[in-house]
Amino acid sequence: MSIEAVARLIASILALAPGFAQAADAELGQYLSAECLTCHQLSGHGTGGIPPIVGLPEDHIVEALLAYKTGERSNEVMHNIAARLSTEEIAALAAYFAAHKPKH
Amino acid sequence: MRINRRHFLAGATAAAGTAALGMPFAFGQARAKLIVIGGGAAGATVAKYVAKESGGAIEVTLVEPLTQYATCFFSNLYLGGFRSYEDNVHSYDALAGTHGVKIQQQAAAGIDRDKREVTLADGTVLPYDRLVVSPGIDLKFGSIEGYSEAAAEKMPHAWKPGAQTKLLKAMIDAVPDGGLVVMIAPPNPFRCPPGPYERVSMMAHAFKSSGRDKCRIIIVDAKDKFSKQGVFQPAWEKHYPGMIEWLTPDIHGGVKSLDPATNTVVTDFETYKAALVNVIPAQTAGKIAVDTGLTNESGFCPIDAFSMKSKLDPNIYVVGDACNPGDMPKSAFAANSQAKVAAMSIRAELAGARAFPARFANTCWSLVETDDCIKVGGRYEPTEEKIKQVEGFVSKPTDTADIRAQNYQESLGWYAGITADMFS
Repeated sequence: MSIEAVARLIASILALAPGFAQAADAELGQYLSAECLTCHQLSGHGTGGIPPIVGLPEDHIVEALLAYKTGERSNEVMHNIAARLSTEEIAALAAYFAAHKPKH
Repeated sequence: MRINRRHFLAGATAAAGTAALGMPFAFGQARAKLIVIGGGAAGATVAKYVAKESGGAIEVTLVEPLTQYATCFFSNLYLGGFRSYEDNVHSYDALAGTHGVKIQQQAAAGIDRDKREVTLADGTVLPYDRLVVSPGIDLKFGSIEGYSEAAAEKMPHAWKPGAQTKLLKAMIDAVPDGGLVVMIAPPNPFRCPPGPYERVSMMAHAFKSSGRDKCRIIIVDAKDKFSKQGVFQPAWEKHYPGMIEWLTPDIHGGVKSLDPATNTVVTDFETYKAALVNVIPAQTAGKIAVDTGLTNESGFCPIDAFSMKSKLDPNIYVVGDACNPGDMPKSAFAANSQAKVAAMSIRAELAGARAFPARFANTCWSLVETDDCIKVGGRYEPTEEKIKQVEGFVSKPTDTADIRAQNYQESLGWYAGITADMFS
């Protein structure tokens, strides 16, 4: 995927994100987030090679997931998770994690 | 999001199920009751997610005899000297204190599926609306001539965490230089497919790092191939040249007998007098699953891949090592993944929560030597037949040292993550 195409995709996903303040879409984000929480801690604590993702800006999460989905970033575990995420699912996840605050 | 017809039907069935129960939950007259038998990677995760996300609508009781949980995953790193035993021990306190899970600290003695009741070891009878059976595995001691629970005190299996793990560690540390170790590796299906081979790596590391270079390890395997074999074997040759020998059934001809008194292993091929024998026998679902008739001829519990429900009882879910997970391995990662699908389905059934399509993922990391960690994983989707693998990956023998070191850091982060996910 070209940089321009990725940028257009990010813009289109971010345009969807405000819709995820609605209850139904927050539920989707919550359900999908459980898959992330096998490795990424909800407390926002990072350990070893697993970075914290809680409280990151939505565009940051969308960009990262798209980069893993397309293979632009090369971690197999993350590609494995991101590859099947639809744009709606990515937006729901980004909204979910952006809305949480790390516990410090 | 893709929701196929099946999932709409599942949601409709869930709603109908609530109606069939007389809708007691909708009116707040009684809380729906969920019992979870077994507090491992599957059971602790289901208990936490249902309690946490149901907002008090579902009463969750976890039946688990242990006060603290020692993870089987990463126990090999304890054997290799990379972690202390205590590093792998976790408390159930937050499940009770933070999430309101009721803990019954005793074993489940029986399940009456018709009455929907669990009887505990002390005779207490607990009714349930839904039951999660997650007892993990049991070992088939009788599958190897001469092996038994008593024999395991001399020839540890260490395939369940606890005293056996500590016993094996002490025995590894006591092997003299030049000593022979024999590992008897199990037939499929078994808990943690790369586990025996990571364990051998950790034994070799323990020997090499303490100047016991002349020790030898022979794996007498019931299988003719194993998980990550194409990556493990070159790594063994690199780090532990000549120390590890792997024998397939067509070479050793089968284990004929064991003598724990003399640490002797007799195969068709040879008789070994060893300094240490580690016997990992064939496995079944945990005893209560077998006793309750939830298993089939495989020895494990068939499940509906869309929900993790038992195919034999619509009021029971089976998650983790006790289930037949289709293409998934029996791993903590997989158990945790299945638990989240079960928790979602249970909340839909008992509290009217929204149902989502099941999704599954797994990764298994194995440490071969300091900063040399390999991994295998995949993602899975439900089909009518089974949990089916969609795509997978495995480390390459040609990986750079940097990648292997990153894998190790990733595995440490995963361990912290999954144990936080289960217990905090």
